[in-house]
Amino acid sequence: MASTIDTVQEYVARDYRFGFVTEVEEELVPPGLNEDIIRLISQKKGEPEWLTEWRLAAYRRWLTMEMPDWQKPKFPPIDFQAISYFAAPRQKERPKSLDEIDPEIRRTYEKLGIPIREQEILAGVAVDYVFDSVSVATTFRKKLNELGIIFCSISEAVRDHPDLVRKYLGSVVPPGDNFFAALNSAVFSDGSFVYVPKGVRCPMELSTYFRINAAGTGQFERTLIIADEGSYVSYLEGCTAPMRDEHQLHAAVVELVALDEAEIKYSTVQNWYPGDREGRGGIYNFVTKRGICRGRRSKISWTQVETGSAITWKYPSCILQGDESVGEFYSVALTNHFQQADTGTKMIHIGRNTRSRIVSKGIAAGRSDNTYRGLVRIQRSAEGARNYTQCDSLLIGDRCGAHTVPYIEVKNRSAKAEHEATTSKISDDQLFYCRSRGISEEDAVALIVNGFCREVMDELPMEFAVEARKLLGISLEGSVG
Amino acid sequence: MTSLAVARRRAEPVPELGSLFERVRQRLPGREVETLARIRETAFARFLELGIPTQKAEEWKFSPVLRVINRPMALARRPDLPLAELSRWFAGGTSARRLVFANGHPLPELSHLGGLPEGVRITSLSRAIAEMPGRVAEVLAGLDDGRSFTFLNTALTECGALIEVADGVEVEAPLQLLFLSAGEASATMTHPRLYLRLGEKASLHLLEVHAAAVPGPVLTNLVFQIDLGAGARLVREKLQLGDEATSFLGRTVMRLETGARLLDNVATLGGGFVRNESELVLDGPGIEALLNGVYMPRGHEHVDTLIRVHHRAPRCHSNQFYKGVIEDKAHAAFAGKIIVHRDAQKTDAYQANNNLLVSDEAEVDTKPELEIYADDVRCSHGATVGDIDAQALFYLRSRGLPKEAAESLLVYAYAGEVLERFRDPVLVGLARQAVLERVPGGEMLEAEGLV
Repeated sequence: MASTIDTVQEYVARDYRFGFVTEVEEELVPPGLNEDIIRLISQKKGEPEWLTEWRLAAYRRWLTMEMPDWQKPKFPPIDFQAISYFAAPRQKERPKSLDEIDPEIRRTYEKLGIPIREQEILAGVAVDYVFDSVSVATTFRKKLNELGIIFCSISEAVRDHPDLVRKYLGSVVPPGDNFFAALNSAVFSDGSFVYVPKGVRCPMELSTYFRINAAGTGQFERTLIIADEGSYVSYLEGCTAPMRDEHQLHAAVVELVALDEAEIKYSTVQNWYPGDREGRGGIYNFVTKRGICRGRRSKISWTQVETGSAITWKYPSCILQGDESVGEFYSVALTNHFQQADTGTKMIHIGRNTRSRIVSKGIAAGRSDNTYRGLVRIQRSAEGARNYTQCDSLLIGDRCGAHTVPYIEVKNRSAKAEHEATTSKISDDQLFYCRSRGISEEDAVALIVNGFCREVMDELPMEFAVEARKLLGISLEGSVG
Repeated sequence: MTSLAVARRRAEPVPELGSLFERVRQRLPGREVETLARIRETAFARFLELGIPTQKAEEWKFSPVLRVINRPMALARRPDLPLAELSRWFAGGTSARRLVFANGHPLPELSHLGGLPEGVRITSLSRAIAEMPGRVAEVLAGLDDGRSFTFLNTALTECGALIEVADGVEVEAPLQLLFLSAGEASATMTHPRLYLRLGEKASLHLLEVHAAAVPGPVLTNLVFQIDLGAGARLVREKLQLGDEATSFLGRTVMRLETGARLLDNVATLGGGFVRNESELVLDGPGIEALLNGVYMPRGHEHVDTLIRVHHRAPRCHSNQFYKGVIEDKAHAAFAGKIIVHRDAQKTDAYQANNNLLVSDEAEVDTKPELEIYADDVRCSHGATVGDIDAQALFYLRSRGLPKEAAESLLVYAYAGEVLERFRDPVLVGLARQAVLERVPGGEMLEAEGLV
């Protein structure tokens, strides 16, 4: 058994491979947060008056709010005046073609394993590349345009599609929703915008790759996805950051809107820098993600694989407003060393016959703490609502912790909510069985851990599933083909 | 925002109760014993400082306790009750020993403690204060759990009992603690304090019955501290039969030593506002703790159960099994938490909370929680909320039962599953009767001879 733990530890102890810094000339606004900074950001982005005011209103709201303290992860107070709220690689204007992208930035994405060019030709995935505060490239636009799909950075959307942005921005996560959402609303720099028109099935995966590069900054992107009636879109999100001794804040807001019979599938592989073995540095990933199934028979599905960040603190949620709408949440969260995760989901059932399904797998190793926190609320109006929740935790080593905090609130008798959770370690019986079949200990562990996460991994689009397996990596170098 | 301000939002000051202590302190037993007086004073100061938790406080998220406590209340007086009628709440059979309290004051006329084996000492709190104030001070000061209501109890308690069973003494006869409330025109409160210690390998069967003898607004704030020595065995069965005007705040703090065994059964079948808190510390290896409960709030009743089981030592087993049927406009909340501490390897802990909503206006909030810091453990929990099982209903109807009778039978059986785990037949009889009264159409089940 000792060697099993060693093998697993060995994997999870592997060093962060995306910790390099790109030497690119960046434009930084001075650290600090006040109304002038917000006006400056808004001005740099050439925003209309209403958006500047919207930001300022959010800022004023934020000033009255307090940092929450109910979460399990504890961290020293964040000095919001020490953060630079805008960092952008210096470029004359947004490149018209991919060839114009700063070669340094292009190399960055190549090193991260997502060469901008190759991705376009081979994978058939349209990608929006967000480098620190701004979007540097979006691929496949022409092809998407033909179908009427809008996929661009949110700054461009503000310029080119102001009506859509104005109608939906903040409609799912209002600026005053919570402390970090208010902060984001005040200072958000860039992010992706997607609009899929009526009846269109988006033919390829849309993807955003977030990269924090500059030091002393935070990343505050904002993503807005709208799926009009009868449409479908699958969206992927990946993220990395350099290794630094300081903690960097990532406070994004993601809003999804699904109208009648529309479906949005949102997948995340989060691999922000987790800090070193002593818990120095790493990203604070405090993100508000929420989708609303506004139309009948609409569906929103969140899938996340969380391996990075010093602290992951987020609850991708679904408001099931339309009758017969469906919400799903599939999550794998792996923590190691001094990482802390407090993640889960909220399913708010409002419409009749709404259904939700939650599958959460937490793996804790080292001295980390891994918490599932979730809410299933079935309101009086949600006749015939149905929820199934399963959260399993796997502990590797005896210095880590796994916690489950589900809230189930039901006000309708015809509704049905079920929750189960288990906590265990890799069992000696399972290992022994595999060993007796001639499977090496290392492979056996990989097999068992992969099996443990399988329900979630199966939900990921193929390209991502591969990356996620590698990341979880209990695949243990070549042991899983 | 300072943490003080945050703390303030999570607790309210208590203007209505603020002056109470000054008014009553000269009436409290033990006022002439300096240590006791000081303990009470400190406790009341702590109570004022902590305030009453609001729903912003995580543990009170679902229970607006301010509603029942922040109002003018006097300490309840000893009522004049028709003694002959009170025996209907007697449990434990003919051999049972019994301590009866009315609004917290002992009723020696109905109490019966004779013929207890040597090594069993049962002392009412007021007598204990007179005869061994030092021991009482120890007990009162010994519980500092940071809870406002515990401090309020320490400050104001007038009655209760100290029960001590010596090593190796197995008490055959059940011991019943019967708490009767009698409402007055204006709201009153009572703060019973109980302490139980079972020595090594001692055993006891304890029955705790709370009933409303005279309907009316009485708030009971009970604190029960239990210590189980190594290998001790305790069966504790609690039946709550309050009425809609009564409120009950009950906190049990239990510490179990190596190899102790506990069976803790609770049936909450009446009470306007009921909060049952149990905090168990499993402090040695090989302990077994089984906790079963059933609650059936109706009307505007509110039942909240909070359980914390701390696994501090290896190889312990704990199991929580709670079921609820929520009717009318009632509200039930359940928060159970298993905490497995760092070195509690080989822990086997389970928790289940199942709820049946049988009205369109009922509400249930459940929060089964796990907090685990050891890896070689087996912990799981499950929670469900739903309506009567359609297939079971179909089965009964296909056997010729009318729909209403079939539904009643299923609800009765649902609640009854927990009562099957109770030990004392008399108490179970009382509980079944109360369940039948609460099952919609229960009288029909009886008339038809279905139960």
